[in-house]
Amino acid sequence: MDTIVALSTPPGRSAIGVVRLSGPASLQILRALVQQDLFAPEPNRVVLKSLLVDEGVLDQCLVTYFQAPHSFTGEDMVEISCHGSPVVLRQLIDLIQSHEARLAEPGEFTLRSCRNGKMNLSQAEAIRDLINAQTQAAAVQATRQLSGELAQALQPSKHELIRVIVTLESAIEFVEDDLPAVQLDDIKETIDRIIADVANLAETYRAGHLLRDGLRVAIVGRPNVGKSSLFNRLLMFERAIVTDVAGTTRDSLTESISLQGIPVSLTDTAGFREAGDKIEAIGIERTRRAMADADLLVLVIDGSCSLREEDQQILEAAREHPFVVAINKTDLPQVTAGKNLNGAQVVHVSALTDEGIPQLTAAILEPFSSLDSASVGLLITDSRHHDLLIRAKNSLAAASRSMDQGAGEEIVVADLHNALRFLGAITGETTSEQILGEIFSTFCIGK
Amino acid sequence: MVFDETFDVLVIGGGHAGCEAASASARLGATTALLTLNLDLIGQMSCNPAIGGIAKGHLVREIDALGGIMGRVIDRTGIQFRLLNRSRGPAVQSPRAQADRALYRLEMRNTLENTPNLSLRQGMVVDLLTPNNTVSGVVMQDGRRIGAKAVVIAAGTFLNGLIHTGRTTYTAGRAGEPASVELAETLKRLGLPVGRLKTGTPPRLDGRTINWEAFQRQRQQADERPVAFSFSTDKIEQPQIDCYIGYTTGQLHESIRKNLHESPLYSGQIKGVGPRYCPSIEDKVVKFADKDRHQLFLEPEGHDTNEVYLNGFSTSLPAGLQQELVRMVPGLENANIIRPGYAIEYDYIDPRELGPDLQVRRIAGLFHAGQVNGTTGYEEAACQGLLAGINAAFLSQGRPRFGLRREESYIGVLVDDLISQGVDEPYRIFTSRAEYRLAFRHDNADERLSKYGREIGLVGDREWERFNQRRDRIAKIKKALTGTRIRKSDPAYIALAEKTALNGVDSISLEDLAKRPGMTSVLISQLLPAEARLAGPVEDVEFALSDNLYSGYIKSQENAIQRLHAHDTLLIPSGLDFRAVSGLSHEMAERLERAQPVTFGAARRIPGLTPAALATLLVSVSVSA
Ligand SMILES: Nc1nc2c(ncn2[C@@H]2O[C@H](COP(=O)(O)OP(=O)(O)O)[C@@H](O)[C@H]2O)c(=O)[nH]1
Ligand SMILES: [Mg+2]
Repeated sequence: MDTIVALSTPPGRSAIGVVRLSGPASLQILRALVQQDLFAPEPNRVVLKSLLVDEGVLDQCLVTYFQAPHSFTGEDMVEISCHGSPVVLRQLIDLIQSHEARLAEPGEFTLRSCRNGKMNLSQAEAIRDLINAQTQAAAVQATRQLSGELAQALQPSKHELIRVIVTLESAIEFVEDDLPAVQLDDIKETIDRIIADVANLAETYRAGHLLRDGLRVAIVGRPNVGKSSLFNRLLMFERAIVTDVAGTTRDSLTESISLQGIPVSLTDTAGFREAGDKIEAIGIERTRRAMADADLLVLVIDGSCSLREEDQQILEAAREHPFVVAINKTDLPQVTAGKNLNGAQVVHVSALTDEGIPQLTAAILEPFSSLDSASVGLLITDSRHHDLLIRAKNSLAAASRSMDQGAGEEIVVADLHNALRFLGAITGETTSEQILGEIFSTFCIGK
Repeated sequence: MVFDETFDVLVIGGGHAGCEAASASARLGATTALLTLNLDLIGQMSCNPAIGGIAKGHLVREIDALGGIMGRVIDRTGIQFRLLNRSRGPAVQSPRAQADRALYRLEMRNTLENTPNLSLRQGMVVDLLTPNNTVSGVVMQDGRRIGAKAVVIAAGTFLNGLIHTGRTTYTAGRAGEPASVELAETLKRLGLPVGRLKTGTPPRLDGRTINWEAFQRQRQQADERPVAFSFSTDKIEQPQIDCYIGYTTGQLHESIRKNLHESPLYSGQIKGVGPRYCPSIEDKVVKFADKDRHQLFLEPEGHDTNEVYLNGFSTSLPAGLQQELVRMVPGLENANIIRPGYAIEYDYIDPRELGPDLQVRRIAGLFHAGQVNGTTGYEEAACQGLLAGINAAFLSQGRPRFGLRREESYIGVLVDDLISQGVDEPYRIFTSRAEYRLAFRHDNADERLSKYGREIGLVGDREWERFNQRRDRIAKIKKALTGTRIRKSDPAYIALAEKTALNGVDSISLEDLAKRPGMTSVLISQLLPAEARLAGPVEDVEFALSDNLYSGYIKSQENAIQRLHAHDTLLIPSGLDFRAVSGLSHEMAERLERAQPVTFGAARRIPGLTPAALATLLVSVSVSA
């Protein structure tokens, strides 16, 4: 039995995210995550641990180890509750996958639980209905619409891949037949073309997951520039406390809104400056985190005063992220015109008069409008599809490398079959019988 | 019931499946009788006189590793040995040998006659006795009744065999031999689903009338040591012969096309499905009309005969026309046909009726092996015979059945394909049918299977000893490969660096060196310490290097398959109502109903089943399991 991993809280923003692992390697993977080879947690006890990555601490998490058979699935399990940021969660799941675990299929935890007799039939049936409901929701959304479309989009690549496999297989299987010589250059070229196509499709996941999980926007800026005011304008109701005392917003505040039908989670952050007291320090730390998690920053500058050192610092910090500059308070006489901002996109707004708010909305939704105009009609939104495409791409790349190194056809074709298997998990299996059928209709085989 | 004679196991048919079955069963201590229509034709090669080839050669070596006899017999009677795909990787190399047809037959009969517990009986079986769906014996045409606890049917193309040449048809099991009509009817009466398949064979020529000069000689390369099939063979003793290659012409194709109305294949007279990879010459010129020539092989049938097999010219055209057409081949202008080619239709039983032990699930003690299961090929037949013979003997002795998994052998792949997918054309093994092709080498069949052969009781002390010695030698070589490093200071370094660009590394292990382009097993062998190098043949080094070459790929393949096919062994409850599975579309339920998969793995391989349908099925099956 292999080890599986899944996010067991719904994707998107929530206070905490729970990542679950099940399978024999669970504890070993946990040890790797905390970078303690001898970490021996007491089963069923919640402990606070830092998950480490090369760059340092990924997150402080509550981890629980359940020992087989005393767990939900009856296998060794680990539960990791961490800060609910999608970025952290995605990073964590990626990290776990690099340690010999794979993403669970829909319902697989329940499945293992049934298989190990941890559940009686009626319990299982209840859960199956739940899973069915979930997979059906996913099936309607993802499988019917997207994987149908995705399968279709993959058809040409798959077709070409099969053609290459057919050529190589024929050369291997039918040595005594009078077949045309294999053109290795052509094959290599075709493989590289398929790699590019699959990679392009996989690449759309970046945009695609925005569509599904929504866009995370953080409003940042030094105190008193009008962040909370803009936040409220965008929210269309007054949620945050607006005062003229700098540092009033001491904590980040997040609301989900729908901007032109696109889910956006909007975060109002504490002012970005040296902390005056401890609570504010925590707020600023959260601000940094919100910045790290955001897909887009709205950097607010007060247009009625000149650009300050602090504004420059924030501009610097924002560089690493996609951002738009909102020059606020256009109702007042303008001192900062939005020049010297190194070509950043600038919108002039007034939280007071609503001037420029539509332009700001448009700027926020820019990634989506560019999506619509893109020639790629299809976006990958399902992390499993993304994972399969990446694996297919990696297998193809391995085949391409093998060809460069002059490896035998049987080695090249082994990786190509792996690629076909991964694509097949999206488009439907290609059986060896189908490949043979293709061979016999392409070449005159047999004595 | 009073029987004239009683045995533990009866084997019906003395072809390649029957011979293996009878031999295995008898050697396992079950009293066994081989019932055959003609004792003189035991081990007859009905089609081309050759054994092995890509994947088929692997099968023979697997049979040998398990303790079967085909490998030894061909090693003693083969007259041209070739290792196919020699220029390719070790996993796809496979031995093939041209046999002296008559010698093979004699050697096989001799082998069986010298097998204790084994009796040969000539006669035709006309009825099976199966009270309470349990085999108790058979009835012969001459009235004899023979009792048994288990019966293996290995009747080849004889079940309701019908030969076609042109518009002429007649019942026969092979040219000149009667068909088994009553036995076929008995199987139908037992309620077994019967289908119809077709195969064909080319004309045989009088070698004295061939202008050999006009053909290209297919020489055995002088430096090639013949690669034997059996792990117990030290040396191929038979003198070796050459085969010859020629080609058809466009003019010949034209004549065939003009005469297609004479072909029972094209007139609709033949209903059975033929193998796509063994097309008749009619099929070749019709389906590949743009090809201006097709390859032909002239294969001498033996040392002491002038008969020559015209491989590549399988046909069911009228005999007279065959003669005319053959003479249109350059070099065959004066050739005489001594046996015309023909097509034969025969009954097969849906192999999905069988368990992994090749026993018919609904009739205890009845086993099917070979063409009756819809396969084609001597090797395919033989491996099934071996498995059926082992299990028939085990059944009679109350021992648990024996089966092979598709992850460990081509035999396992073949049986699993048959019993889970059924057939819709004659089934032939191909390396691409195996998910783990890189792990299934012909030279490691013993490593994979001899342990089973030993446990079963078919691998004798001598062979077992031999196997263990080889294993030890290879282990030593592997150790030497990782332990021996070539350093900059070594005299060999400069030459090697030139050959395979070592980029100035200070030292490299032989294991890593071997993976570099341009390296050969002979070169590596020379670099090994003498005690490892000299202990055995260079094949030992090749073996070790092949393991080394593929290990990484096998691992990544395993990961991919594990990841995607983790649920393959999950059983689908028999009688599961697919239409009642919520979330399965009507179309998907229908596909499943038609295929009746036994495991989730079998369902996965049903063409056209969508991933969503599979996921739905998986949840439903796991929950009800
Ligand atoms: N005139 C004018 N005042 C604004 C505007 N936006 C915010 N303010 C005022 O600026 C002050 C600070 O606003 P607030 O939203 O709390 O700023 P924050 O500290 O960046 O969150 C408040 O007094 C607001 O009323 C605007 O567009 N025009
Ligand atoms: Mg504020």
